[in-house]
Amino acid sequence: MSIGLITAAYVVAAILFILALGGLSNQEKAKRAIWYGITGMTLAIIATLNTPGLGDPSMVIFLLAVGGIAGAYIAKQVEMTQMPELVAGFHSLVGLAAVFIGFNADIEMTRALTAVDAGTAKELTGFAASIAKKTGVELSILKVELLLGIFIGAVTFTGSIVAYGKLAGKISSNALTLPYRHQLNLAGIGLCLLFGYQYIETGDPANLIYVAIISGAIGWHLIMAIGGADMPVVVSMLNSYSGWAAAAIGFTLGNPLLIVVGALVGASGAILSYIMCKGMNRSFVSVILGGWGGEQSSAQEVEGEQIAIDTDGVASALNDADSVVIVPGYGMAVAQAQAAVSELTRKLRAKGKSVRFAIHPVAGRLPGHMNVLLAEAKVPYDIVLEMEEINEDFPQTDVSIIIGANDIVNPAAQDDPGSPIAGMPVLEVWKSRQVFILKRGKGRGYSGIENPLFFKENSRMYYGDAKGSIEALLPNVA
Amino acid sequence: MGMKIGAPKETAPGEARVALTPESAGRLQKLGYDCLVESGAGAAAAFTDDAYRAAGVTVVDTADDVWSGADIISMVRPPSLEQVEAAPEGKTLITHIYPGQNEELLGKLNEKKLTVMAMDMVPRISRAQKMDALSSMANIAGYRAVIEAGNNFGRFFTGQVTAAGKVPPAKVLVVGAGVAGLAAIGTSTSLGAITYAFDVRPEVAEQIESMGAEFVYLDFEEEQTDGAETGGYAKPSSPEFRDKQLAKFRELAPEIDIVITTALIPGRDAPKLWTKDMVAAMKNGSVIVDLAAERGGNCDLTVKDERIVTDNGVVIIGYTDFASRMATQSSNLYSTNIRHLMDDLTPEKDGQPNVNMEDDVIRSATVCHQGEITFPPPPPKINAIAKQAPKEKKVEETPEQKAAREAAELKKSLDQTGQMLAIGGVVLLLIGSVAPVSFMQDLIVFVLACFVGFYVIWGVAHSLHTPLMAITNAVSSIIIVGALLQIGSPDETVGYLAAASILVAAVNIFGGFLVTRRMLAMFQKS
Repeated sequence: MSIGLITAAYVVAAILFILALGGLSNQEKAKRAIWYGITGMTLAIIATLNTPGLGDPSMVIFLLAVGGIAGAYIAKQVEMTQMPELVAGFHSLVGLAAVFIGFNADIEMTRALTAVDAGTAKELTGFAASIAKKTGVELSILKVELLLGIFIGAVTFTGSIVAYGKLAGKISSNALTLPYRHQLNLAGIGLCLLFGYQYIETGDPANLIYVAIISGAIGWHLIMAIGGADMPVVVSMLNSYSGWAAAAIGFTLGNPLLIVVGALVGASGAILSYIMCKGMNRSFVSVILGGWGGEQSSAQEVEGEQIAIDTDGVASALNDADSVVIVPGYGMAVAQAQAAVSELTRKLRAKGKSVRFAIHPVAGRLPGHMNVLLAEAKVPYDIVLEMEEINEDFPQTDVSIIIGANDIVNPAAQDDPGSPIAGMPVLEVWKSRQVFILKRGKGRGYSGIENPLFFKENSRMYYGDAKGSIEALLPNVA
Repeated sequence: MGMKIGAPKETAPGEARVALTPESAGRLQKLGYDCLVESGAGAAAAFTDDAYRAAGVTVVDTADDVWSGADIISMVRPPSLEQVEAAPEGKTLITHIYPGQNEELLGKLNEKKLTVMAMDMVPRISRAQKMDALSSMANIAGYRAVIEAGNNFGRFFTGQVTAAGKVPPAKVLVVGAGVAGLAAIGTSTSLGAITYAFDVRPEVAEQIESMGAEFVYLDFEEEQTDGAETGGYAKPSSPEFRDKQLAKFRELAPEIDIVITTALIPGRDAPKLWTKDMVAAMKNGSVIVDLAAERGGNCDLTVKDERIVTDNGVVIIGYTDFASRMATQSSNLYSTNIRHLMDDLTPEKDGQPNVNMEDDVIRSATVCHQGEITFPPPPPKINAIAKQAPKEKKVEETPEQKAAREAAELKKSLDQTGQMLAIGGVVLLLIGSVAPVSFMQDLIVFVLACFVGFYVIWGVAHSLHTPLMAITNAVSSIIIVGALLQIGSPDETVGYLAAASILVAAVNIFGGFLVTRRMLAMFQKS
């Protein structure tokens, strides 16, 4: 294939990727959009494989097949509740690839420059050939791009592995707070700058390895310091980083397709992080710089009692209700209660009751996590509503059921300026006539903030494992 | 072996309630107690002996059998002095006592070494709400008051336009918005009447309005006391305030069809709020229901336990047995209150009551224990109701102010965009002045792609954010293109690293796309 044809294929692929992301604007379009993405990727790979002077593709096809089978296997096996860790795990792969390709670029650059010195530059092919044509300034820029690619790639790699570990429960999700942690991060970045500068000056690849190791440590430390409740932001931030890593590599290789796609993904992750932060009323910087805690003192004391209720009580309230709103949180995913919830929904809807779901932007451990879980359990998506769509309807709601959610329904966010989550937009469930809270026990939630909702007069605590509790309800709802 | 709880038939004339129902018996048995009941005790409340037997309750013939057979006796009304005289020693008694008014009874109970829990002494804190019989009975009384009023009122509550002519809606005034008042307001509004309500505690205005009634505001400047200090109950108001209040009522009296008064101040006679001249000003056929009749009535003309008709045709109802008039409902709630008290008394669920005098609620309710009179209780440790934060007045903004504010916000956001554009432009120019052409070309592509990305992603539905992440995951593996370009290199290290990159990127591509597809296929419309 000629370079012109390849470029044309890249343009088409880029457009297809844009269409694939844009197609996610609604559920029906999305089902086609995925094919745009797959076509774009296929096109890009075939075009690249046909680049003149690339050699035998059989090895590549073999690698693609092995990786592809592994990927397909993972995609088939994964539980929907494990999506957060899967996504985090995949991010790490992109980061790792970026680091490798960055190192390769350095080696190729050294080879190309040696060849130029030796006068054999004409024999070079591919990437090395393009380097041989570069001027001094262009080479310096190349080194900067390469450093950036490795830096972002390594941060993404280790950060994503930590995020994976926390989400999968393999490491404690508590925020690790080392002494002087901000200084540590700053020192790390300073060292990276120092070694990076030396690399640009001397071209010694050892510096590149130092940068990779230090930035890997930064990534590890950064994500270790973030608590479980902030994970949605972390995952979308890493999503963004994986895009920027691809874009940086695109700059290094002078490949516009990589740049375009990297920028798309980077922007996507950035917007998701922004939406998540807004959902928690926290600034991006404060989330990234570490978990909360220690600011409890100013929060108001909650007076009163959490009143428990049994299955019969909940069932009879549901039987009497006309409109029901269900608010799922991460606890629903943990208890694997979504199928039981779906069955309950079906039964109530068959009785002609209005049943809807209210999804807070940061419910779950991944943006949109709850939607996917409910969809998997065959809850129709048109009764699953966003916070802004449903918040005004709570005063007309007979029964609200909170399943494993805490902070996102905490009235202290509105009433108590001293609360750590003051100002966070929350679902105003307490305005409905009755609120049932499904919870395992009396403890505080993930973020350790006391929730005055549990003490309200119209609140009843329905203790127990969410799945078991709802399954116990099913025969009684009729 | 659990203790026995028994309920005798109530002896007070007209009392139809019973302190134990088949349902509450079932719950008490779960706590480890055995239950017995006097034959016919539930008859007036529509609970047959057979229903009790079906619930596993032993039915005994006489009240004496209950008193001798049970360890804990639950009743509705205070026992008569004769009953106490005849009672065996050492039993536990749970009922209404009104110890403040019944000192002689209290002394007698104590002589008999009874442990006595007074349902009317349960403190008004949220933890004790489930056993607050005064509230549950007041709720019924409030409802019943409206029903009695309707029974004596010659018109509809709701307004209608019928073929036979127009019917104006009834106007109801509820004085005192405690539990009974609020129940009356709710019943009245749901029957369709135009409902007004008054209370001396300004903080209940919100509750009144939430029930659909209109709060009658007084034009009065005095700093009104917060209900929090008095345990949520009203306290006497100043003479000036009272004058204003009466003037307001006088103004309303000719228009109002039904007045329901529920004003009570703890430990005092009911305040006189509806005077003779107000009654005289009312229309013929109007109805007054005085829920304070027991304590002398809020209306001057109320006669306790009677329905009277004044010369100008106003019906004044002074019944004191509203709860008993709905015996099934009130027995259900009252016995549930008792059951909740037993819940707290029996933390081990072993059928052995544990009178824990450290517990605020139990301490307050217990008036006699181990041969000592433990009334009055010390003040509760926690306030009944949290202190009310002073309400800020929300200023409605005029359309002009709104327009101005929106214009200002728009201008601010435009200014911000402008600033960012200016800064971005300068940065680009600075880079352009030093960087080579090849880099600038890449940069242009990059910046444009960022913009496209931002616009495209804002359009993505929130519910599809997880699929979005999965697909961007797959798409970001486009980095494989870089590895593909490098794998042909003669350098071995490059070859291995590129091969590894291709491998991991392939996992990501296939995994990402397939899992996205799996997710999207799950989204189904109803």
